[in-house]
Amino acid sequence: MSAIRLENLVKRFGGFTALKTMDLSIADGEFMALLGPSGCGKSTTMNMIAGMERPSEGRILFGDRDMSGVPMGRRGVGFVFQNYAIFTHMTVRRNLDYGLRMTGRPAAEVAKRTAAMADLLGLTDLLDRPAAGLSVNILQRLAIGRSAVMEPAIFLLDEPLSNVDAAFRAVMRTELKSLQRQFRQTMVYVTHDQLEAMTMADRIAVMDHGVLQQVGTPLQVYNDPANIFVARFIGAPGMNLLPGRLAETDRGLAVDLGPLGLTPPLPAPLAAAARGGKAEVTYGFRPEEVHLDPEGAALHLPLLLTERIGARNILHLGETGDAVRAVFPAGATLPAGGTVRFAPAEASVRLFDTASGRAIRGV
Amino acid sequence: MTMADRIPAPAAQPRADAPETARLGFRLTLPAQILVLFISVFPLLMQLYISLTDWSPLAGVSWPHAWEYWNSFANYTDILGDGRLWSALWRTALVIMVCVPVEFLLGLALATLFVDDFPGKRVAYSVLIMPMMVVPAVAGYMFFMLFQSGGPVNDILSWFTPEPVTLAWLSDPTLALVAVMAADIWQWTPLMFLILLAGLVGVPDDQLKAAALLGASPWARFRTIVIPRMKTIIVIALSIRVIEAFKIFDTLYIMTGGGPGVATETISVYIYKITTQDLIWGYVAAIALFILIALSVAAVWAMKRMAK
Repeated sequence: MSAIRLENLVKRFGGFTALKTMDLSIADGEFMALLGPSGCGKSTTMNMIAGMERPSEGRILFGDRDMSGVPMGRRGVGFVFQNYAIFTHMTVRRNLDYGLRMTGRPAAEVAKRTAAMADLLGLTDLLDRPAAGLSVNILQRLAIGRSAVMEPAIFLLDEPLSNVDAAFRAVMRTELKSLQRQFRQTMVYVTHDQLEAMTMADRIAVMDHGVLQQVGTPLQVYNDPANIFVARFIGAPGMNLLPGRLAETDRGLAVDLGPLGLTPPLPAPLAAAARGGKAEVTYGFRPEEVHLDPEGAALHLPLLLTERIGARNILHLGETGDAVRAVFPAGATLPAGGTVRFAPAEASVRLFDTASGRAIRGV
Repeated sequence: MTMADRIPAPAAQPRADAPETARLGFRLTLPAQILVLFISVFPLLMQLYISLTDWSPLAGVSWPHAWEYWNSFANYTDILGDGRLWSALWRTALVIMVCVPVEFLLGLALATLFVDDFPGKRVAYSVLIMPMMVVPAVAGYMFFMLFQSGGPVNDILSWFTPEPVTLAWLSDPTLALVAVMAADIWQWTPLMFLILLAGLVGVPDDQLKAAALLGASPWARFRTIVIPRMKTIIVIALSIRVIEAFKIFDTLYIMTGGGPGVATETISVYIYKITTQDLIWGYVAAIALFILIALSVAAVWAMKRMAK
């Protein structure tokens, strides 16, 4: 019943198209993250699910029920705003039982359900405090509780952690995830922070410029990006992407990266897939999947700088700084300078059609 | 990270010797203090002095010699028995109690309409706040014309009645008060509208959306979110209008001159008349002080109540 289906969803604001034909199915009880940079259409999508915005085209179904024309108060949707939108002129209790009171539930039921929710979220001692001036984690729990007390089948969260400092975010992520396990609702979570999406979501929908780029589990999106945008966006740092041309060598098909040199030969399935397509390809590999190869016929670039961030070191290779990044564990022996010869692990190599940006996948 | 995060705060200045600073501060503000004494405290003391005498400009001596007409507290005891004063006060209160709530409700309704965009909003907005810019005396003249027995108000009313309406608005004791109130409402609803619109725009949109998502009806949202969040601005708007309405004079004076008889005589009109016609300045001073004290007590009481 609480599965969500978006069919050919389009949203235009005047002449600007915020969302271009989106199709997405979210299963009952699933935690789906909408991930993308700001302005990618993720919040617009969520506002349409909530009923705050009317789709220009297409429709939204909850289960089999078409939601067009159903006002936002009747959709049975819980919504947690980016700034929590707590009613700061009321007490915690009045916030928590607001929905129950506004929908005219009997006083005894209101009291009972409010008390149960306060207990679940550890808010019982704060019930008669004014909501203004509470700490951020209390506000977040209150915002979730205020929606959850209505027992919505669907929960929508709009960047709920973006106002929180980095240290606290980790705590809140854990808390949110455990709350979702308790409530077992379908959750749609909008964020621009891939770490939140990767750690909490069952599946991630990556969006950019109003277009859905890829839908998949966090590992699918990380390991097999559907296109150059996803490859660059997911991972910190993102995938190394080097434009080049396919070149036939005596050891098999490789990519000529120009001044960087010739890549090691492509793995056989990838080579087979690449042979059918265009010669202009983008060669991609994860910074974590690089090994130093001082003797081999590997890629070579000057060392620009070394970033040491505790558990790992990031080498920046290239003339300008954004050419190639390579991540090594803290203990690894690293070159101090000069030209670095390196090679990506064969299994981590990904190819993209440079013109269309689409992944070339070996079967 | 912003610049402020990176730039170390300048070391705190060693604090100057406190009594030294206080003395310097006193000397620097001395001219301003003398000015305040002269324009505020001096007239009050002068008023208090004259209010204890029977002095009038016709007395033949200048005001510092008013002690020659000393009458102790006779002016103040006269106030208690002055029926015309008390009915003027009551009438002023009536004007406040009718006009301010009507202006508030009209202003709030209009402001609610103007929160959302609609075609022609800017033009409608300009037209709406225009009455506020009209010189009150001119507004008085306009309403004087409108409410003539052969004037447009009667003409318009005649459209809805079988017989032509020939109400003598400004010479009927009750209707004159109605006409005066209508002028005040016309002129000052825009101010209410402006202040309340500023308040309405300041109500956070996502709180309204959150309330709607929780199932609150538009009226419930208005009652539980909009009004409580506008409380401060509503208090300010009402205070401004109550204070201003208490001083109602110019529009009214041109429309009725306080008449017929004393039917529209408010406190300002009464004081104006006894000042310029009866010339009993000692008594006028006593009334002015009495009202000042009464209003101050009322204001303190109102503020204490609101703070609760």
